[in-house]
Amino acid sequence: MYGKGLKPLSIATVVAIAVAFSLVFFYAPLDADQGFIQKIFYLHVPLAITALVGFVIGGVFAIAHLRGGDRRWDAYSYVSIHMSVIFGVAVLITGAIWAKASWGHWWVWDEPTLVSFLIVFLMYATYYPFRYAIEDRDRQARYASVFAIVAGAFVPLNFIAVRLAQSLVHPRVFATANGGLPGSMMLTFLVCLAAVALLWVTLVKLELTAKSASGQLKRLRRALDAPADSGSPRIAPEVS
Amino acid sequence: MRKERAYLILRDRSMGEVQLFGMGLLPIGAPALPLDEAGKYVAGAYLVFLLLLLVYVGIMAAKLQRMERELRDLASFAEQGRPGTPGREAEDVPVDVEAQPAAVSDRNLTPSEAAAGRPDRVRGSSDV
Amino acid sequence: MTPTRAAFAAILAKDLRAELRTLQSLPAMALFAVTAFVIFRFGLDRTSLSGSLASGVLWATLLFAALLGINRLFVAEREEGGFDAIRLAPIDRGALFAAKAAALLVFLLALELVVVPVFAIFFLDSAAALGPLALVLLLADLGLAATGTLISSMAVHSRARDLLGPLVLLPLVVPLMIAATGASEPLLALHGPDYHRFGTWLAVLCLYDLIFLLIGWAVFDFLLED
Repeated sequence: MYGKGLKPLSIATVVAIAVAFSLVFFYAPLDADQGFIQKIFYLHVPLAITALVGFVIGGVFAIAHLRGGDRRWDAYSYVSIHMSVIFGVAVLITGAIWAKASWGHWWVWDEPTLVSFLIVFLMYATYYPFRYAIEDRDRQARYASVFAIVAGAFVPLNFIAVRLAQSLVHPRVFATANGGLPGSMMLTFLVCLAAVALLWVTLVKLELTAKSASGQLKRLRRALDAPADSGSPRIAPEVS
Repeated sequence: MRKERAYLILRDRSMGEVQLFGMGLLPIGAPALPLDEAGKYVAGAYLVFLLLLLVYVGIMAAKLQRMERELRDLASFAEQGRPGTPGREAEDVPVDVEAQPAAVSDRNLTPSEAAAGRPDRVRGSSDV
Repeated sequence: MTPTRAAFAAILAKDLRAELRTLQSLPAMALFAVTAFVIFRFGLDRTSLSGSLASGVLWATLLFAALLGINRLFVAEREEGGFDAIRLAPIDRGALFAAKAAALLVFLLALELVVVPVFAIFFLDSAAALGPLALVLLLADLGLAATGTLISSMAVHSRARDLLGPLVLLPLVVPLMIAATGASEPLLALHGPDYHRFGTWLAVLCLYDLIFLLIGWAVFDFLLED
């Protein structure tokens, strides 16, 4: 029963986001260097951290799938990665908006965290064509798990490499959001992080519930010997 | 040092006003500066977040709609196929509230569903 | 010889012999690389390269040539039913991964043996950088062999295998390329090789190789189940 607990979780998420955004706009002080633009970071960084942790969680589920063989872990892995890719789109767009506001360009190569994230995003974007090109269901699940593990190991390596490649001439622009944050900003940041993480968990649960429901529908169809629904071809992993 | 001092100035004010560099006085607790250039970008970023969330909700809504339609089809299939279902009378397709929306949704049936659905109804009614 | 080592040697020998007999991939990869150099000469409008340009042209060309050849390893295997024979044999799956990766490594090294001197003749003023460059090439090839084997052994079972292998492999080797070009760029500097951060980049290459060789060894079992 995936839907169990979804309602209190959603309510908690709504409250958390409301509190978080209120803190951002009514409580957090204005940054002396970047001014109002800095407020983007309260959205951008929590989204990025959540997405990256989500990718790693997808890898962990993949390991569980390979070890146990239970296909549910594969569904969890797929949904975790799927949700993190969606959050990744938000990270890149908000990152671009910040770049435009700060530098006047929609993209800058000088910010290593953003560049690393782009590469990670490109890596996980290949997850979908990779999965869907493998027709055998069982094989698809196994190979997808291997992909998730390989990509999970790739994430830290990628960040290290990009950080090292950073030209020492250009100072790190994102310095304001790391270390040295005054208390009120740190509090706001942490609340935003918690809210976004809650949102991720809620949406993953929602997605799993939807998958479970359509899985039950299939089951019902089979039990009734009803003709198969020839609607859209189901290629995403299923939960039943 | 300059940064810390800026934060201190903002924080150490008690209830009342806060002096921002050259921006005049603002009561503490009011949202800062929504109307200048920076505000547009920040608003844009938060708007993108909201829109993505809504797009996701929309996609889930479409899935839900599809599931509802499938359930409806399965329910009517299950009811037709059972012999001796109480209340099931003669040849006519029962005209009740549920059938009306079902008739409307018939247009959305895929060819195989339509082919499977119609003959069944005819068959079911002639058995009784 | 223990069974594992015997199996490793046997599979490696088989792949190398097969390639030698048909001589399909290597000449094609080498030809592709040399032609790419010509295209770069005109595309960049340069007759000599140094520093970051030289490093970029060399590594991009090697990478794309390698991508062309990597799928060959498993395509032939699959078409001739070789997988079934291997699956039935009671050998350690890790040995199979090691053998496949070793075969790919040999191919890549052979490719570079031809291509890099051509590159030096076309674009470089002196061959002083080629010594330390060989070390970078070796370490990078190791990483490419590990990830290439892993990904192509999965891609070969998919519908769009010619596209899928390179598609997934390309982002995966970005850290490898960053480290390889990072090390090569100062080596190919105009006034002689410079070892700026050479050790750092070599360390990153070793880390990459280690991680993906280990992962490949560990998961290859799951790739061969029916």
